[in-house]
Amino acid sequence: MSNSCSLLTSISSSPNTVWPRVPPVHPSGEQKEQQDGSAKEELSTKEDNGTKDNKDQAECCSVAWQDMMSVENDFPSRTHCLSRWYGLHNFIVLSPGPQMDEITTESRLNLLLSSVTIALNNTGCQTPIFVQAHQKWRKLFYGRSEFPGFSTNYEMVHLKTVPQQYSHLAGLLDVFKAKLSSPVSPAPPVSVTVRFTYLLQDWVHYGWPQAPPDFDSNSDIGFTDFGDLPFGACEDPVSELHLSATWPSLSEEMIVEDDVYSDLDPLQAPHWCIRVRMTDSPTCLLGDFLLDFVQLCRKTESTNQLLSKSLLSPTSETDVDVSQALSRLTEPAPIPLPSLGTVVTSATSKLAMKPEEAPIPNDLLNKILLFLFPDAKSDAMDVDKVDTGHGGASDDMSSSKSDSSQTLNEQSKEMFKQFKSAPVDSLPYRLAVCMCIINHSYGGVRAVAHLWQEFVLEMRFRWENSILIPDLAAGSPNMGCSLLFQKLQMLNCCIERKKAHEALQSESSTPSNDILASTPMEVDTEDNKKEQKECSTSSDEEEFFECVESSDEASVPPRDTSIGGGGDAKLRRRRSKRAMDAEKRRSSMKQKSDDDQSLLEESDTPSFTDTLTHQPEGRLRPYNDLYLLNIPGEQLYVPITQEPAPMTEDMLEEQAEVLAKLGTSSEGAHLRARMQSACLLSDMEAFKAANPACTLGDFVRWYSPRDWVEEETVDDTGKVTVKGQLSQRMQIPGNMWLEVWQSAKPVPCRRQRRLFDDTKEAEKVLHWLAAMKPADVATRLMPMSVHAAIATIIAQGENHLPSLQTLLGQITMKATQAMRAPHMDCHRFEELMNKLAQAEMIITRAQSLHTKFNEERHDVDISDDALSSFVSTLLDQPEVDIVGAARGPLGIIIQRLFATAQKSAGLFNLSEDERDGEEYTSRSSGSSDFPTPVGKEYILRTTVPRPAPWSRPSPQRMYCVLLKDDFRLAGAYSTDTTFQ
Amino acid sequence: MDDQSILTTLKILIIGESGVGKSSLLLRFTDDTFDPELSATIGVDFKVKTITVDGNKAKLAIWDTAGQERFRTLTPSYYRGAQGVILVYDVSSKQSFTQLGNWLNELETFSTKHDIVKMLVGNKIDKDQCGVKSYWLQDQCDDRREISRDEGLKFARKHHMLFIEASAKTKEGVQCAFEELVEKVSKTI
Repeated sequence: MSNSCSLLTSISSSPNTVWPRVPPVHPSGEQKEQQDGSAKEELSTKEDNGTKDNKDQAECCSVAWQDMMSVENDFPSRTHCLSRWYGLHNFIVLSPGPQMDEITTESRLNLLLSSVTIALNNTGCQTPIFVQAHQKWRKLFYGRSEFPGFSTNYEMVHLKTVPQQYSHLAGLLDVFKAKLSSPVSPAPPVSVTVRFTYLLQDWVHYGWPQAPPDFDSNSDIGFTDFGDLPFGACEDPVSELHLSATWPSLSEEMIVEDDVYSDLDPLQAPHWCIRVRMTDSPTCLLGDFLLDFVQLCRKTESTNQLLSKSLLSPTSETDVDVSQALSRLTEPAPIPLPSLGTVVTSATSKLAMKPEEAPIPNDLLNKILLFLFPDAKSDAMDVDKVDTGHGGASDDMSSSKSDSSQTLNEQSKEMFKQFKSAPVDSLPYRLAVCMCIINHSYGGVRAVAHLWQEFVLEMRFRWENSILIPDLAAGSPNMGCSLLFQKLQMLNCCIERKKAHEALQSESSTPSNDILASTPMEVDTEDNKKEQKECSTSSDEEEFFECVESSDEASVPPRDTSIGGGGDAKLRRRRSKRAMDAEKRRSSMKQKSDDDQSLLEESDTPSFTDTLTHQPEGRLRPYNDLYLLNIPGEQLYVPITQEPAPMTEDMLEEQAEVLAKLGTSSEGAHLRARMQSACLLSDMEAFKAANPACTLGDFVRWYSPRDWVEEETVDDTGKVTVKGQLSQRMQIPGNMWLEVWQSAKPVPCRRQRRLFDDTKEAEKVLHWLAAMKPADVATRLMPMSVHAAIATIIAQGENHLPSLQTLLGQITMKATQAMRAPHMDCHRFEELMNKLAQAEMIITRAQSLHTKFNEERHDVDISDDALSSFVSTLLDQPEVDIVGAARGPLGIIIQRLFATAQKSAGLFNLSEDERDGEEYTSRSSGSSDFPTPVGKEYILRTTVPRPAPWSRPSPQRMYCVLLKDDFRLAGAYSTDTTFQ
Repeated sequence: MDDQSILTTLKILIIGESGVGKSSLLLRFTDDTFDPELSATIGVDFKVKTITVDGNKAKLAIWDTAGQERFRTLTPSYYRGAQGVILVYDVSSKQSFTQLGNWLNELETFSTKHDIVKMLVGNKIDKDQCGVKSYWLQDQCDDRREISRDEGLKFARKHHMLFIEASAKTKEGVQCAFEELVEKVSKTI
């Protein structure tokens, strides 16, 4: 026996079972269940277990009975089936272990049950013990509980169909009474609790707010398709609504339900509660898009691998190709403003993609690029390329979008403050959204590779043609943003500087010859050596910085001097480049090339010599009312200085590492200071140029005022004189400041060597961009994608849902961590995307429920808030009571929901000629609004003396559940064991 | 002894107006010396020191910054990732105290951690005595204290900072300032 009866024991108990029992407020909520599923115990050991309960004997003498008879525990919403059927809180279950045979024969079951009885009696345990028999899925439990002088049998009947004669209360009462065969007459009345459950599945009449997007139609793709992440479920996330009408504790005489008649009208039921069943993991757009996108981070293919098949010829060196593409573009003589049309053409011609094999069709690509770079449109004169209709649409969109983002900003400003992504609607932000959509709906990883290639080309185009990248925050890279954003900002900084040089070049209509940076010939020779490098000379050692603000006449821009020295090819390239430029610039350019000529002729001009008597140059403004120390009455001027070099966080990290590597020795510190003194030197030189005959004292008064110590001295005549001197530390011989000061020559800012080499930095950024594989692109775009997704979720305006609030809190926290981590971790983002999908599901459920209830609301007196909070409780709790049942405002709405479904079902079932509208409308308020219940539950209770008339009365209970294909009677019948 | 605990590296930042003694404080802390002839820092400087707080060894990477206005375009880049910051003013200079607000703004703008631990240090308390022996001569002493301890404490409380007065010259409070900061920082990680 020990082998075959090895059983799984599970013990269920609830904390609120102490005698005297306090009626639990929410029995369903507090019912706890411990399932000791893994413990495999033999019956003998079980007995030891039972003895533990001995000490509780006095207290819980009739817990099982209390549970049986208490109406508090009727129809709990979520609990163990035994608790539902017998009303018990505490019980022990013996069931065969996973490898054991099921208990199928009655004799074996009885053997076990009598063993249980002996065990219970021996131990004095009052907790009911159940034995599971037959197949597990049938959930057949038989049990015993012993109580001094009494014993209770738990029996069960399970059928697959509902016998006709027992399909109503009358029949079930007959079964119950027959089973009890009460020895006294008349039998005490039976108390009846009934619950009918109605099912609502037909939602066709309620507009499901989400119109699934049509991905197949390529023809009508609006711009909004790329601007916003999609949101919502493709199918209704709410599948069923169950309404349970309950009649608690009625006397059997009060209600009649039999074959032909029923008192049980749900509208009259005193108690209503509903529960909703959700569709299991409905397809939700946002979650789908995001999860697809995050998968991209794991792809290993490079852009070339992905696109090489579709390329006519393998791309070799980008630079060469681009310039070829550009010169090809310039072939027709009059070129309009650089429109996106031309950009796109150049890009695609560069990629030389077979049109039929390009992952993104050309016209779609044009639309995407136009969406990403809306500034190209405003310049566009080429109407053929840019559909004006679409242009208008995009205008509308951008305006409405800015509105929505405004409100969104207010809501979530705090939330997004910690995000290291990119501002809403900035270029990287839109790119992230766009890539996410492209990846999901327009060709997957190949399309992403394709679009990225185009994006990088556009970046290069903008750099080479000095067109600022749109929608990026101006200024130095913002290290509070993602690296991609910083890199693009960096590129923009470079473009800005480049534009500044160019502006200076073009304005040199009357070049001044007195001050020349250096002889053009010098530059030329330098340049020739590096000719093959790039046409631009700006990376050259001899390059000088031209100052933007300079009101003085510009010096000869070295850039132009290269024309003389450079070969024909170079000239052509430059020309072609120039031809790309804006029409409005053309005139000035032409003029300028004339100037270039004249300048070249004048190239013999002697170079600048540094003398003490030089003219002041590069003054920005007078500094307070300070005067030079050496020359009384000579105003001190603040010089124009170079802007510090902008840096991205990776550059900074590199630099910090270099500085830190120098160590902490004094040599290291000295070297470090020297490395950083370039800026100081530049400032000193500019200062010297602006203030001829100045001293370090003058400089310090402007630059580090606290190092200029002034002392008031009172001389004999009582006259107060202020005497100033350099601070002690500035006077130390050989200190770095002094050293740098001595080596500084008076050179105005615009002739100084550049602290920031825009060409080099731009090339670095472009290289960084070009070297990214699609997986890298996706990873770099993750912060923006998450940001956009959270914004999308918040924009739904369902933030009041408590479950969503908690989830969003978690998401924001995790998102902040993931974005700020030194390395972008796919796992973290994947986890985030899953959570975002979850949030989306919660919202779609709430929206779906809200729409349904709202549509039947009409004149019902219920506030928006009440309805919303009802919806949110419905999401959070398994079962929600309807206050006022059918007469409450929510009850009326629910009734209408059923009525609408019934009406349509009725109309549908009627054939054409039978349809009689009147009949249905007149019945609309009747109980026929409800379909036949899908489930009927009855709990019959009574207290009778058994088995003999002289026995003491004991509680009897039978629970019946009648479903479509499931019929179950679970009875607990007590007998007096003393007086029988 | 070396294996007794895990070595964590903490990034500490020292900021404040020029000439308040940031580098001197650091030098006192790392090398326990005082050099009146320390030249003005250019850009940023860097020192390392390992200390033991609460039985845990921590390696401090301390970034010392130049206080000059002009360097403020350069130095904030190094605020990134700092876990603790020492904000220094000179108790004998009102101006260095009134500028503290600007430094906090700067910190707010450029530091990447929002829970960065801040310590306010009032330096040069050795100047309090200023070597004047007679009461009537005090007024003529330029170097006397201009910011009282209370003022400093009030400011620190208002901005949720730790506070200590110190002197790099006399060594007073220097070790304590760093240790307290590190202790608080190690609690936040």
